Amino acid sequence: MPPKRDGEVLVLGIESTAHTFGVGIVSTRPPIVRADVRRRWTPREGGILPREVAEFFSLHAGEAVAEALGEAGVSIADVDAVAVALGPGMGPALRVGATVARALSAKYGKPLVPVNHAVAHVEAARFTTGLRDPVALYVAGGNTTVVSFVAGRYRTFGETLDIALGNLLDTFAREAGIAPPYVAGGLHAVDRCAEGGGFVEGIPYVVKGQDVSFSGILTAALRLLKRGARLSDVCYTLREVAFSSVVEVTERCLAHTGKRQATLTGGVAANRVLNEKMSLMAGLHGAVYRPVDVRLSGDNGVMIALTGLAAYLHGVIIDPGEAYIRQRWRIDEVDIPWYPWLPGDPPPG
Amino acid sequence: MVSLAPWGPAARLEELPLLKRGAEAEIRLGEFMGLQAVYKARVRKPYMHPRLAERLVRLRTRREARVIAAARAAGVSAPALLAVFPSLGLIVMEYVEGPLLKDVIDRRGLGAGGLVEEAGYNLGLLHRAGVVHGDPTTSNYIVRGGGVVLIDYGLAEFSSSVEDRAVDLHLFRRAVESTHAPLAGELYSLYTRGYLRAVGEWGGEVLRRAEEIRLRGRYVRERRRSVWGVG
Repeated sequence: MPPKRDGEVLVLGIESTAHTFGVGIVSTRPPIVRADVRRRWTPREGGILPREVAEFFSLHAGEAVAEALGEAGVSIADVDAVAVALGPGMGPALRVGATVARALSAKYGKPLVPVNHAVAHVEAARFTTGLRDPVALYVAGGNTTVVSFVAGRYRTFGETLDIALGNLLDTFAREAGIAPPYVAGGLHAVDRCAEGGGFVEGIPYVVKGQDVSFSGILTAALRLLKRGARLSDVCYTLREVAFSSVVEVTERCLAHTGKRQATLTGGVAANRVLNEKMSLMAGLHGAVYRPVDVRLSGDNGVMIALTGLAAYLHGVIIDPGEAYIRQRWRIDEVDIPWYPWLPGDPPPG
Repeated sequence: MVSLAPWGPAARLEELPLLKRGAEAEIRLGEFMGLQAVYKARVRKPYMHPRLAERLVRLRTRREARVIAAARAAGVSAPALLAVFPSLGLIVMEYVEGPLLKDVIDRRGLGAGGLVEEAGYNLGLLHRAGVVHGDPTTSNYIVRGGGVVLIDYGLAEFSSSVEDRAVDLHLFRRAVESTHAPLAGELYSLYTRGYLRAVGEWGGEVLRRAEEIRLRGRYVRERRRSVWGVG
């Protein structure tokens, strides 16, 4: 890595909203991404346990920060600002990242930049696709939202009324006895088991207005299994119904906003079948479709650092004493003064 | 496409002149037993499994027809339903001729105030029938014979929830704010006056919720304003 040069701005970002403690370091000069360190908590069985996650994060936070600095070939003195995801997410997990960020900020006198985790996923998509003004479908373990930028903020055009898409896939896989591990060889357990499956009746498709709902799908899919339906058929149909509904809501948002770009982001964004549907849908509307760079689809510190960099360059900082975590911090509560700025654009001012 | 010859001069649906092509449906102009009629054919989503796409087309066609029937029965000024073919995703309905309320407001400003109140009254009647419209903008009212006709029930649903009803009012307000900005306040108050006249005592609660939704700032269920809401 090149040593830091005059006028270059380096931002260190910390992610700790769910299962991954991530530290990323990014620069205003290429190569933009200088470090990407992740420590992921994985359950031996069952789902996420917030307290265990927090303990795991506390154990690994220090070494993760040190490793990221080493990877970037810089010292903490070279870093211009520290960005941190303050929400939304699980309280105990969030607190670890916030504590580390506040400590770095206070001890080394670095400006602290608050970042909304959902905004960071959308910005990761914008920054890696180069799509300046897209409609974004954000699908992950804890989130399912269709957003687009209107009048200063990302506005929610549709979202799940109950569980998130990733949660649906994980919970079904667990209850059906095909996970953990939830993801192996880049494929989700539901995708693996859907191979060779076909469409069966019995799983409801729920789009209410602009919103989707997955809890009925989960219940119906498990009931089908109990009644002896083939596992591969149930996996195939569950995926088909759930993916189609989020793509339809995205389609409505595209039609409504009249935008000509669509993107996909979040932990489920690497899914091949979902990408095929999104691409087909966008084509119908003459829209360009590109998903987030797969390396930044899951939770990571780089997206926090990138969003933090954009925010910092546009004057968004927070007093460490006021950097509280916000477990339910909605994406449409966040002003985006840098929009539609992309890395590579001339710096503001 | 199945021949519609028994009911109209055109042998094939796709030969009828296209009024509008949207993501949800294609709207064509034709005849039905001697009447001018609108043929609304739902589109099968190519990104869905054919059986799922088919199921949705049938379900939504049936639902829209039921909603229109319920609206008419409740006295809402809505297009008459002429025929329904769920397997084709096709609804044939009365062609309502006239200018859009939006254009009449553009021309006459608050001179169209009576029509706006009438529009709110019709939404109230619809809500009383247990139906929410889903897209009640000034482009979905047609002015005819001194009154208005509420069209496009493609996104309508059976619901009596305060939230769903309030969303309808919110959508109207957003529509007038973006298309008739200087008059938005007056237009919305005329609309709600008509609405309250139709619904009576629970109207106040719906109005308050609409205000809450506005403060929440969420773009809930907002859609492109178009004649048919199929954009």
